[in-house]
Amino acid sequence: MKTETKIKKSGLGARASRRISNTIVYIILIAITLVWLFPFFGIVLESFKVNTTAMDGELFPEVWGFDNYIRLFKETDFLKWFRNTAIMGVATAVFQTFFVLSMSYTLSRLRFKARKPLMNLMLILGMFPGFLTMILIYKVFSELGLTMEMAPVGLIIVYCASSGMGYYISKGFFDTIPKTLDEAARVDGATRMQVFYKVIMPLSGSIVIYTILMGFMAPWGDFMLASYIIHENSAGMSVAVGMYEWLSRTMVNSNYTMFCAAGVIVAIPVTTVFLCLQKYYVEGVTGGAVKG
Amino acid sequence: MANVKLTNVKKVYGKDTVAVQDFNLDIADKEFIVFVGPSGCGKSTTLRMIAGLEDISDGTVEIDGVVVNDLQPRDRNIAMVFQNYALYPHLTVFENMAFSLRLRKTPQEEVYKRVTEAAEILGITQYLTRKPRALSGGQRQRVAIGRAMVRDSKVFLMDEPLSNLDAKLRNQMRAEIILLRQKIDTTFIYVTHDQTEAMTLGDRIVIMKDGFIQQVGTPTEVFDMPVNLFVAEFIGAPKMNTFKTQLVREGDKYFVTPYGARIEVTGKKAGELLAKNVESQEIILGVRPEHMTLAKAGDADAIPCTIRVNEMMGSELHLHVEEANGDRLIVRIPTITLEDEQRKSMTYGQTLHITFEGKVMHFFDVQTERNLLA
Amino acid sequence: MKKLTDLEYLKLSKFQAFWYNIKMFICAIPSWLKKLFMGIVNFFVKCGTAVKDEFVDIFTTFTKGNWAVKTSFFIFGFGNMYYGQFLRGLLFLLFEVVFFGYMFVPSGGLHWLGKGNWFQIGKTVGTVQGSFQYDMIYDTDVWVPGDDSVKVMLYGLLTIIFIFAFIYTWRLQVKQCRICMDITAKGKRVKSGKDDLKSLIDDQFHKTLLALPVTGIALFTVLPIIYMVLVAFTSYDAAHDGYSNLFSWVGLEHFNELLDFGNGGLGLAFGEILSWTLMWSFFATFTNYFLGMFVAIMINKKGIRLKKFWRTALVMTIAIPQFVSLLYVSKLFDSSGIIGELLGQIPFIKEYLTTNHYISLWDSPTVAKVLVIVINIWVGIPYVMLQATGILMNIPQDLYESSRVDGANTIQQYTKITLPYMLFVTGPSLLTSFVNNLNNFNVIYLLSGGNPLNTEIGTAGGVSVGHTDLLITWLYKMALGSADSEYYMASVIGIVIFLVCAILSLIIYNVIPSTKNEEDFQ
Repeated sequence: MKTETKIKKSGLGARASRRISNTIVYIILIAITLVWLFPFFGIVLESFKVNTTAMDGELFPEVWGFDNYIRLFKETDFLKWFRNTAIMGVATAVFQTFFVLSMSYTLSRLRFKARKPLMNLMLILGMFPGFLTMILIYKVFSELGLTMEMAPVGLIIVYCASSGMGYYISKGFFDTIPKTLDEAARVDGATRMQVFYKVIMPLSGSIVIYTILMGFMAPWGDFMLASYIIHENSAGMSVAVGMYEWLSRTMVNSNYTMFCAAGVIVAIPVTTVFLCLQKYYVEGVTGGAVKG
Repeated sequence: MANVKLTNVKKVYGKDTVAVQDFNLDIADKEFIVFVGPSGCGKSTTLRMIAGLEDISDGTVEIDGVVVNDLQPRDRNIAMVFQNYALYPHLTVFENMAFSLRLRKTPQEEVYKRVTEAAEILGITQYLTRKPRALSGGQRQRVAIGRAMVRDSKVFLMDEPLSNLDAKLRNQMRAEIILLRQKIDTTFIYVTHDQTEAMTLGDRIVIMKDGFIQQVGTPTEVFDMPVNLFVAEFIGAPKMNTFKTQLVREGDKYFVTPYGARIEVTGKKAGELLAKNVESQEIILGVRPEHMTLAKAGDADAIPCTIRVNEMMGSELHLHVEEANGDRLIVRIPTITLEDEQRKSMTYGQTLHITFEGKVMHFFDVQTERNLLA
Repeated sequence: MKKLTDLEYLKLSKFQAFWYNIKMFICAIPSWLKKLFMGIVNFFVKCGTAVKDEFVDIFTTFTKGNWAVKTSFFIFGFGNMYYGQFLRGLLFLLFEVVFFGYMFVPSGGLHWLGKGNWFQIGKTVGTVQGSFQYDMIYDTDVWVPGDDSVKVMLYGLLTIIFIFAFIYTWRLQVKQCRICMDITAKGKRVKSGKDDLKSLIDDQFHKTLLALPVTGIALFTVLPIIYMVLVAFTSYDAAHDGYSNLFSWVGLEHFNELLDFGNGGLGLAFGEILSWTLMWSFFATFTNYFLGMFVAIMINKKGIRLKKFWRTALVMTIAIPQFVSLLYVSKLFDSSGIIGELLGQIPFIKEYLTTNHYISLWDSPTVAKVLVIVINIWVGIPYVMLQATGILMNIPQDLYESSRVDGANTIQQYTKITLPYMLFVTGPSLLTSFVNNLNNFNVIYLLSGGNPLNTEIGTAGGVSVGHTDLLITWLYKMALGSADSEYYMASVIGIVIFLVCAILSLIIYNVIPSTKNEEDFQ
């Protein structure tokens, strides 16, 4: 008897109730998407405003035009900053990938006495705020002439030198490749180095691309370290540091729309690269979190 | 093609987790040897030490008279087949098999010749251009074997190569390995947890438990004369029935008294007991299920039991019966010897009388669990 | 308290079991502490015995070694060369020569070490103060440079590291020499230089791979961190920059200052900022985590189409450099920004702003705090969504099927299967994201800049403190954003951040089961 009443209770058919819940989900998703994408459209629209250089509380421009972009390239050092950041991005991508992959591969697949202590040491070092190291590094770099206009070079070193500490995600990836593959290759006559580049590397395309992507994007988003090394020297600025100035209390009214124009230009290459390689990024993030 | 010699080999993990101890074994050239034992007994560890994939904590491993303890796997000239195949996912079947040859910079013609020959033998020629993921389990296993075959290795190591296959394929591959062995004709070391594989494949079997070798011998030897209770129960399926009972000596005659019955020891065993001058004592008696037979109620050697499970295997019947004080025994009866009526009456809860002959018993010491006659 | 057996435990009702677990947890604390204490004691005992063993070993090596071994106690690599390891021997010898060369040349290691006045409170780092002196040629006062404290400390530190390296290398080569002797005695061949080089691509391949990354970490992380820890015990700031004015050792003075709640101390500011930092970290982590998971579940719901589109729309926010999007969003909420203006017209908000004389939403401490947390949801959800998607796909589908057969509805499936599974798998990553949020400079600095200013506290550590300042932004402002540049205080705060992270990690590491075994998931 009991089961009978239970079955009757769900008055709505399974299909109808699913349709309702799906509709609710769709509504929420559309709302979320609007909220998430709003700033992008906002920035783009803002960048085409001609009538004002400050915030005017309007979403759409009254008068459309490219004035902001023209001003950006004519009156500011933006092009130089952009070039600096692009160079840093490429260099960081190359070196950081090398460092991170060496470190993570070693920790994941090779066994040696110092392995655990090394991992613990890096764990502990990671708890110090990285910015703290800047004070000394800035001193040394300024002696060596690697700050101010040479800041991009100094920053590349800063971004890459300690990047081995960010091995977690790619180690998680390497951990998922069965150990017997290495063993089979070694029995087949491969040295450990041959195992590395003949067996494991060809299988690790996605994580290599992920690491490259992360390296390339680092200089575009970093503000803290860059601002310290650059020390307000326009010639050596990255886009982040340069553009930050435009929104300071005194300058925001004359530069706000130009900031948005610059933002659009910065976002285009990075977003394009990112969306093209999105698949690998997703693999990296999810794989690293779950360890397979 | 080489002999392999292990002397006092020991493996310790960390500080005091001992995986293998006192491992002494001489493997002759072209011998097919099988390491068998339950999981965690150290059989794979031993194999991996021979391969060079694990460090040897103590003792020496010699291949062809050379101590290889400090040699890298690639310098030992061995081939190995792994349980999960370990095929390189990014290479085709051909390149998988050619991998070791390429590392040795073998000329292309030679590579082609050897790989296609091996593929021919294994019947995987039509898959040579495929990637491993497009192959079935059995085909992958063949590729893994082929990869080991293309090399002129001194020793051929196989680490549970069939345990990832389903039962039917396993039987088929087992037969093929026997055939393969005729063709390759080298020293084989084969690890398995499956006693059937061990019995059918091995020239000699090494039975291991908790890191120690229990017995080394031909399949017949370990089946007929297990040195201890563990080996007796491990080899043979269903496993041997063992139970405590009295061995009674009356002059030159021996009797056992299981569950109130009285059975005389006859045949070779009686002679051996006498030769060793074994006195009356409590023992553990072992009788294989296939040596158990039905008896008539009231006979002196009949043991009354209750049927608990009746497994009909087709050609034979496996009866799990419970003796009056709770011991479980298994009886294996060829179906052909039973009348239809008799078969139908063998259901849960029915009483049955069983017995066994005097010449098929195994006697084990109660304390040491060692075979009294070994 | 009596410990129940498994079966007795199973008899308890849910509530009783919960209560029992809490009691057991509290009862276990003393034994934990004892364990921790014993662990520390054991660690030191172990260290002690290890050092003792080392000395005994060195002694026996010397007494039992042959003349080659004995010689190598004084000439590095002699033993190696004696036994045919020329490559190693030469490298060792080179190291010794360089070491002694460096230490004893004028203005070499000893020179720098001597100038440091290490840890002598009140004494300057460096001994010669630069000053203006009359110069006859130019007929005016010119700057005659003295010591530079920064350099004195850096070179001193390097020298100390060099000395440790020297001792280690000495021990290493003596040991190797002994091993060579033993191997030769057994009639075996020692490894040649060629073997050594060969092993670098095989069984010593980790050395090849790690050489550069570890050097990088040593030079750019370890060395600066040790240096900055030292700075916390000095008076290094803009006024005492080491060059124009030597700075000196002050001991624990700055730590006392940080914890001093009276006038002139930083106690109040520190307490305020630390509690906000923890609160921020907590909310930022958990709002992101649960909402991100929620979004992931919605996108992955059966029957929802355009999965890829929804995902990409969210992931876009990761692609765009944070400083662009965050600065823009921050301005959106400003008084003249689109959203700020809109919100400002809502009556009760308008009233709230005018009664408190706030111009924009960012001027109100409470609203600013809520805003950064809310906007951080916008920043963080995409990451969590991606992670969660991966894990959701990994949950075995048959768990859901079997639970449906058992009679679970959608919500029960979520609470009984999805959530526990996710929590178990992502436990460790929650910890990481908590620690990351603790140091989330970008979001705070670019959104609010730490503002609005905390008028009750005013300035602390030479910089004005805001309501939304985290420890890390405070540190940043001290080092860069003020004329005083109190580097010493920045270092102290850096150490505090480290301690907070370390303590939190230790606690969480002991509570979450899945952090314990690195290889559990494989």
